[in-house]
Amino acid sequence: MSTVIEQIEQQIAKLQNKAVKKNTGTIRTVADGVARLDGLSEAMYNEMIQFPGGAMGIALNLEEDEVGCILLGDVSKLKEGDEVHTTGRLLSVPVGKALLGRAVDALGNPIDGKGPIAATEFYPVERIAPGIIARKSVSQPLFTGIMAIDSMIPIGRGQRELIIGDRGTGKTTITIDTIINQAKINKVGLASGDPKFRPVYSIYVAVGQKQSNIVRTITSLEEAGALEFTVIVAAAAADNPANQYIAPFSGASIGEWFMENGMDALIVYDDLSKHAVAYRQISLILKRPSGREAYPGDVFYLHSRLLERSARLDGKGSLTALPIIETQAGDLSAYIPTNVISITDGQIFLETDLFNQGIRPAVSVGLSVSRVGSSAQIKATKQVGGKLKGELAQFRELAAFAQFGSDLDAKTKAQLDRGSRIVELFKQPAYNPVPIEQQVVTLWAMQKGYYDGLDLKKVTAAAVSLRGFFATRKDALLTKLRTKAALDAELEAELKTAVDEWKATFTA
Amino acid sequence: MAANKKAQQLARQLFKLSLVDGLVSADRVSGVLGYLEKLQPAHPLAVLRAYQRFVTIELAKSQAVVEHAGVVSDSILQTIAASMTKKYGRAITASTRANPKLLAGLRVRVGDDVYESSVSGQLGTLAASV
Repeated sequence: MSTVIEQIEQQIAKLQNKAVKKNTGTIRTVADGVARLDGLSEAMYNEMIQFPGGAMGIALNLEEDEVGCILLGDVSKLKEGDEVHTTGRLLSVPVGKALLGRAVDALGNPIDGKGPIAATEFYPVERIAPGIIARKSVSQPLFTGIMAIDSMIPIGRGQRELIIGDRGTGKTTITIDTIINQAKINKVGLASGDPKFRPVYSIYVAVGQKQSNIVRTITSLEEAGALEFTVIVAAAAADNPANQYIAPFSGASIGEWFMENGMDALIVYDDLSKHAVAYRQISLILKRPSGREAYPGDVFYLHSRLLERSARLDGKGSLTALPIIETQAGDLSAYIPTNVISITDGQIFLETDLFNQGIRPAVSVGLSVSRVGSSAQIKATKQVGGKLKGELAQFRELAAFAQFGSDLDAKTKAQLDRGSRIVELFKQPAYNPVPIEQQVVTLWAMQKGYYDGLDLKKVTAAAVSLRGFFATRKDALLTKLRTKAALDAELEAELKTAVDEWKATFTA
Repeated sequence: MAANKKAQQLARQLFKLSLVDGLVSADRVSGVLGYLEKLQPAHPLAVLRAYQRFVTIELAKSQAVVEHAGVVSDSILQTIAASMTKKYGRAITASTRANPKLLAGLRVRVGDDVYESSVSGQLGTLAASV
């Protein structure tokens, strides 16, 4: 009981302390999520400003006699002349494992109705990216579960790989597949009890999206059992632009916690085009000078400082980023796409034409690239899929020529046939990632010509059947493939026997 | 928009002319007002409003407004004025303003700095921290 009394006395002593100094100002104007304030002579850049009624602001424009700040929270009751004051703090969000399985807003407040988040640590939203000394080159793979990507455009832990394409080409689906695949790998890895296994936690940041789309994404993750390894940061289209501007930075802070605590994380920014639009809106209202397409001059820095926070740290963890950019009519040379392409370590370009032809995921092999390359691939994938990208590029070229005439030599016909089989093989339904060992089996069978005699339309079904056969009957071999991660003579012989067994049972 | 910017610029220039040793001079202010009356610049109302704002902000920096809920003696006022003069390195005069909403204690405002030592302020801090 005495300790309780002491606590109260301490609180009283605190209250009896000398006067508290506050640097204050008054609201001059409030409009469209931005306030201009008089006073606040001691406000610092990015400092949080306390508004009446619990609303917060972030000082972004420090001018000679006024401060421009963006508003977060409920601003409906603010009016001209209201008093505001500086807080001496930077905007921070809760971080840690307590956020896994939760959906939060840009400020880290729960929005999923599952009660308060028991986070004990907070990270500032704006942080400086790790320097060159702290970093390590990307060499560990991050499997997306999408065969076309894992075999030809591999992504490594700590990489920034842009996903770019027109609306409705399956950009979000690729990222959701990747998150689901991480959850599947995590479950298998954690169940195996391997002490070297490093799970990948995911953060999905939705910027300017429809609420219904966000709900659909959460439902997909929940149904796939991936939500328990995922944090959703949502700033929907109905949120004010300040929240949409802050959300990716909040997500990055949540991801950095995993990275700095020796864990691996994956962050999806869906999407940075809308993020740039929200920032443009804020900048225009703050009367910052506008440049190309009315974006402010620092829109490149906006995305570069965000994406530079993804890294692989020496002796710690990694943060892999999958930013999404939506193009208009496939125009890659627009302002924001070129900016983000130049910042990231490669891009996966999705084409509307391919999508409409039924080639899904609609990855354009020619325009997609991963600058990390094969260093982020396991040896087995290199062995079975090393030449695929070249073969597919050749196929596309030949296919374009073949349109003009039917008189083709046998070699060209064979190349065209093989190419179209590879295209069929890479077709994959949404939310159905393929484990890497299954990918190796599928591609190995293709390399050895097991699909050659089949009707072209049956290739996808054959691959699905092969994977089903392995999953149900050859689990030991799959485990061996997964742990060895390379094909040797013994493993290939086992693989051959197993695939022959499948071939004998498979009827097209 | 451009006209407003120009009015602000002119008002700022006039305000700078109104200072002597960093303090607003009454003579200079009357001089500036006389000049404005004679010259009649474009958007005179906007210029005068901006000028008034700059001068008000500057004058507030030399004045400690002591809000109080109870009685404040002259000696306390003098102590406050002296300590603020020392703190800000400029002559500061203290004036009082009754504010029963404080419940008890004082709130001193110098420019845009507020020194809160009132019960209502402490209760507000306590409420925010709970």
